[in-house]
Amino acid sequence: MATVEFKGKSFDVDEDGFITDYNQWNEEWVEYVKEQEGIDEMTDEHKLVIKVLQEYYEKNGIAPMVRVLSKLTKFKLKHIYELFPSGPGKGACKMAGLPKPTGCV
Amino acid sequence: MAQGKFCNREKVDTLEQLQALLNDKGGGQYYKEMQDLDVDTDLLWATLQKTLKEKSRIKAWLEICAHCGMCSDSCFLYLANNKDPEQVPSYKIQSTLGQLYKRKGKVDNAFMQMCMDTAWSKCTCCNRCGMYCPFGIDMGIMFSYLRGLCFQQGFVPWEMKIGSGMHRVFRAQMDVTTEDWVETCEWMAEEYEEDWPGLKIPIEKVGADIMYTVNAREPKHYPEDLAEAAILFHLAGEDWTVPEEGWEETSLAMFAGDWEACKMQVQSVYDAMERLKPKRMVVTECGHAYRATVIEGPYWCGLKTGQPPVESLHYVEWVAEVLRNGKLKIDPAKKIKEPVTLQDSCNYIRNAGLAEYTREIMSYIAEDFREMSPNKDHNFCCGGGGGFNGIGRYRKQRNAGLKVKRDQILQTGAKLVIAPCHNCWDAIRDLEEVFEVGIRWSFLKPLLVEMVEVPEHLKPQEEEV
Repeated sequence: MATVEFKGKSFDVDEDGFITDYNQWNEEWVEYVKEQEGIDEMTDEHKLVIKVLQEYYEKNGIAPMVRVLSKLTKFKLKHIYELFPSGPGKGACKMAGLPKPTGCV
Repeated sequence: MAQGKFCNREKVDTLEQLQALLNDKGGGQYYKEMQDLDVDTDLLWATLQKTLKEKSRIKAWLEICAHCGMCSDSCFLYLANNKDPEQVPSYKIQSTLGQLYKRKGKVDNAFMQMCMDTAWSKCTCCNRCGMYCPFGIDMGIMFSYLRGLCFQQGFVPWEMKIGSGMHRVFRAQMDVTTEDWVETCEWMAEEYEEDWPGLKIPIEKVGADIMYTVNAREPKHYPEDLAEAAILFHLAGEDWTVPEEGWEETSLAMFAGDWEACKMQVQSVYDAMERLKPKRMVVTECGHAYRATVIEGPYWCGLKTGQPPVESLHYVEWVAEVLRNGKLKIDPAKKIKEPVTLQDSCNYIRNAGLAEYTREIMSYIAEDFREMSPNKDHNFCCGGGGGFNGIGRYRKQRNAGLKVKRDQILQTGAKLVIAPCHNCWDAIRDLEEVFEVGIRWSFLKPLLVEMVEVPEHLKPQEEEV
């Protein structure tokens, strides 16, 4: 298992760079992924996506469908892509500390 | 210990089992348990006797291999791994399935783990070796069979066990219910209707010309793909529909070697065909979905014709057809001007002979189309087929294998790669992430949506002003 060190914090990550221990998630991780994903500035909208993903994951143990994410944030699909260019399944889940989705993704 | 809590010979048939497996992140506990998983050698030998019969092609292939080595250079994993003799296809299959048979199934845990690692990380079932063997021995087919034996014994990569469980529970490779699917279709039609007046995604229409089927990743993670398909059907004036159930055409069960779930999944699509009686079925830009439902599925379901219940087309066949008959017209000014290359998906090019359809499409949309070398039936696997992309345990091996495709792409000089297959698209995306060679990748749909001429009455309102 690989470890990522960023701003004094340490994160265990899987082979695709997703955190393996959800409890390690913190603001530094968000900042780390933000740079990786090429996101200029974290807005309240980014934060809302993260919050919705985490709440759903904590309840269901899996990432939500994009439809659910859109419904709960009230963001249109195009806007979700504007916020997370690599897509809700990759960039947003990674930033929220969710595991990499399984299957063909 | 005989069987573990997660790693065992049980099938994943309930949501609870599925959830428990998912909660074991990365399969940490699962692979630990695999160290102690026993082998049911009686069951293994009984299965071999039942399925590897006299005069079966796999048995004949095992026996007639002359160890000539002609298959070596055909395998991209052999080439990507400095011509390691252990990557020669004939060696890989003789040292696993060949030995299993010779030893009459009397093998141990370590041997089964070696079989698993070989079946999922040293072969993508691309079937290229079969074209170069003087006897026509197809190791890809044999590895698919070996995967079935491994699955039965519980020696299967964690993600594959989840994938087959998803099919068993949801009749889809991801957790998408009928309600989720229908709601996503409605949502996409509604959201894109602003730009495409009159856009609809007709659900469960009986007697349509086309029944469209997809990959569960589309509703789950990439719903824009579904919207783009709807836009193109809309612009082409097609009479089409999606089934409420039986809309998922992919099969991680096939990658997992879960033969029972393979049948369950494909039967749900055939049931939709029987229920909706469409003239034809068209599947999205997915390679293995086509292989599972159109090529292998009829045999899994015991259909004597060897064909699905209705005529079934890959998306590239439909695109070639509508460009040819003028239902969709490309705006000449919007054709791709830059050099562009094309990834041939093993599953519908080598294994179904559709190479000329994609070339026909390229002739309409690209001004500087550059073939990879080799290409068409002889093209190399993208490097991520057969489930390879989705298995964390083998990420290092997958990334090493991507080198062959990277070099093929770079040799064309093109920076844009069209990949009408999800697996290929993912592998090419990942190779850019790993090697940073400066390429872009795309399905056909988003490119076509930007390039097609829009009839006056279907134009977005803002353009009418």
